Amino acid sequence: MKRRAFAGLAGAALLAGCGVSQAPNEIVVQRFFGTCNAQYGSQTDVAAAQTECGIITTLINKFRAENPDIKVTVSTVAWPGYNQLSAQMATGDAPDVVTMHESAIPDFQSRHLLEPMGEELRAVGVEPDNFTEASLKGVTIAGNVWGMPFDTWAPLWHINMNYFRQAGLVRDDKPILPSSPEELIEQARQFKKATGKPYFVQALANQKPAYSRNLYTYLMQQDADFFADPKRIKLRTPEARRIVEMFRTLYEEGLTTRDQDYAAATRGFMNGDGGVYLVGTWMIGDYEAESRRPDRPLSNGYTVYPYPQLFPEKDATFADGHSWVMPVKERTPQQRQAVYRLLKFLADNNFQWARTGHLPAFTSVIESAEFKALPYRDNIAKIALTGTPLPAGVERRFAIEDTIGEELAPAIAGQKSVEAALFDAEHRVNDLLFHVLATSGEP
Amino acid sequence: MAAGSMVGRTLSDRLILVAVIVLGIVMVAPIVWALGLSLKTNAELMVDTSSVLHAPYTLQNYWDLVIGSPVFRWFVNSMIVSLGMTIGVLVLSSLAGYGFARLEFPGRDIIFVLVLFGLAVPEQAVIIPRHQLFSELGLHNTYIGLILPGLSTSFGVFLMTQYFRAIPREVDEAAMLDNATRFQVFWRVLLPMTLPAQATLGIYTFLHAWNDYWWPLISGTNAQMYTVTVGIASTQINFAESAGLGFLMAQAIFAALPILIVYVFFQKYIVRAVSGGAT
Repeated sequence: MKRRAFAGLAGAALLAGCGVSQAPNEIVVQRFFGTCNAQYGSQTDVAAAQTECGIITTLINKFRAENPDIKVTVSTVAWPGYNQLSAQMATGDAPDVVTMHESAIPDFQSRHLLEPMGEELRAVGVEPDNFTEASLKGVTIAGNVWGMPFDTWAPLWHINMNYFRQAGLVRDDKPILPSSPEELIEQARQFKKATGKPYFVQALANQKPAYSRNLYTYLMQQDADFFADPKRIKLRTPEARRIVEMFRTLYEEGLTTRDQDYAAATRGFMNGDGGVYLVGTWMIGDYEAESRRPDRPLSNGYTVYPYPQLFPEKDATFADGHSWVMPVKERTPQQRQAVYRLLKFLADNNFQWARTGHLPAFTSVIESAEFKALPYRDNIAKIALTGTPLPAGVERRFAIEDTIGEELAPAIAGQKSVEAALFDAEHRVNDLLFHVLATSGEP
Repeated sequence: MAAGSMVGRTLSDRLILVAVIVLGIVMVAPIVWALGLSLKTNAELMVDTSSVLHAPYTLQNYWDLVIGSPVFRWFVNSMIVSLGMTIGVLVLSSLAGYGFARLEFPGRDIIFVLVLFGLAVPEQAVIIPRHQLFSELGLHNTYIGLILPGLSTSFGVFLMTQYFRAIPREVDEAAMLDNATRFQVFWRVLLPMTLPAQATLGIYTFLHAWNDYWWPLISGTNAQMYTVTVGIASTQINFAESAGLGFLMAQAIFAALPILIVYVFFQKYIVRAVSGGAT
């Protein structure tokens, strides 16, 4: 009996003590983008790698090979991993460097959970002045740099040129894009009449952020200061109404696909469901590859552009970006140096990452001949200048995107009045922000 | 007459049988579809998911999963956590159930009601204080940290209490007449009689522990301590639903295998648990 009790206690101690400690030269890199070790686990040829997962895995493999004095432990998290990261920070077990959407930085920075990085980036030769305008905006709060930007991504107009030709919407081998809401609706009608297909392919069924990003872009183009106070949104405005009504008209007249979720819309555009798919930079590679396949709806007929300017006030596109941030934690000098060596390596290889479709975070890369030689990058490079994130002080942006999307979806589908949807969206977002700020004790 | 034949059944029986078959197909179809998707390449599925209906098929997604991630480590973690939790729940619920059903002590009924209140408190309501408590105790990223929260199950205590109450007290008295101690009565006489309830509770607990995602996500944050649900989620590429559908489905099937096995072998007890017929 005593023996059993002893064995039980020993087992319990073993279970309780099964933690993981970090070596002095070890850094923990926490990232999303998934796991693809079967294909890239031992690859170091970055130029040969494809996809976000393949390129980041190969980059880190290469860094390991070139820096044998540093032990790099990679921890992949389910996208986007912020609940997990918050939990790690709460337990004092944060990783050394983490992938973070620039839009999420304010949530952590405002709680003093991130280290400012500008000075140390400069010290290793990563000059923030070399960040693109969009990237610099994305990682800067109150004059400090809180992350090293890795890319800028934005929703784009992915275009089926074969249908556009059929609809007479091509000039000089370029798509004719609208320059006002009225022109957009006219062209969409013309497109449908000629092709029998809806002008837009949209993931309206489960992509709440897509609604919000459309709204942000066209509010920005009207120079509407909808977050004049980063703690309050203003949506009950003529500018917002104009945008929602435009999308509602497109929906009512069957000028967009309906009831497709993200996967169906992504596949649908490939299979010729419509003329323009509103989705981000990450799909460029897949659609470019599809356009090279024979006898397909996109065969030799694909291009991509930023959102066209529908309002004269400003050329702007809502943008976000992926960045690398450093949680506040105790590190050995070796670990600190290792993190910055890794960041310098990633900055030096920013072109490779830009092959994913995302825009580079560095001006020198975006202006480079090798970047411009990538397909369609000339069309979208201006986003490095026109790409605009929400103002730096706005917190809980993921939740805000979802909330706005939940309200706009029924308004666009005609199940709720535009006025009521904007009222509810504004009220819910402000309520959320009020409670967030009340909880965090901020003024 | 062959078993299951429609001959000789009443019309209502036949209608029920047809309805059950239809419902069965509806329930099984998504699993079969997921299995089919898991046997196709991601590239094929990105263009058209109906390709699942015809060859070629491949095991590449399973191979990628097995060699591309520490999935066996996560399996071991899940097994330790699920079995640990199951054993712990059975021990604690049996002891508590016996105590509430058989022992007289001050405040017993009030404590029992308090335990039942636990059924009404969702995990989300206590997750932050629990997380802080476990931080103070240094239990995150340990097996104990993953197992402990699952041991306090109001449902288990309630189930076992009801089961013990259903056993006639004469059984205890007869054992005591034979000079059995109270613990011997519990251990040698009553506990064997509760085996059906133990099986039900054990399976229920195992399934819950295996499928749990929320607590392991924020407590076992180190990749070495991932359970299979958290680990497999971490391997998903962004937008897996379009660009990595085959791999995603292989992950789902792989993670579900132990559960499927438990269902196949213990379905009698699961049905009993769900129907509340353990007593």
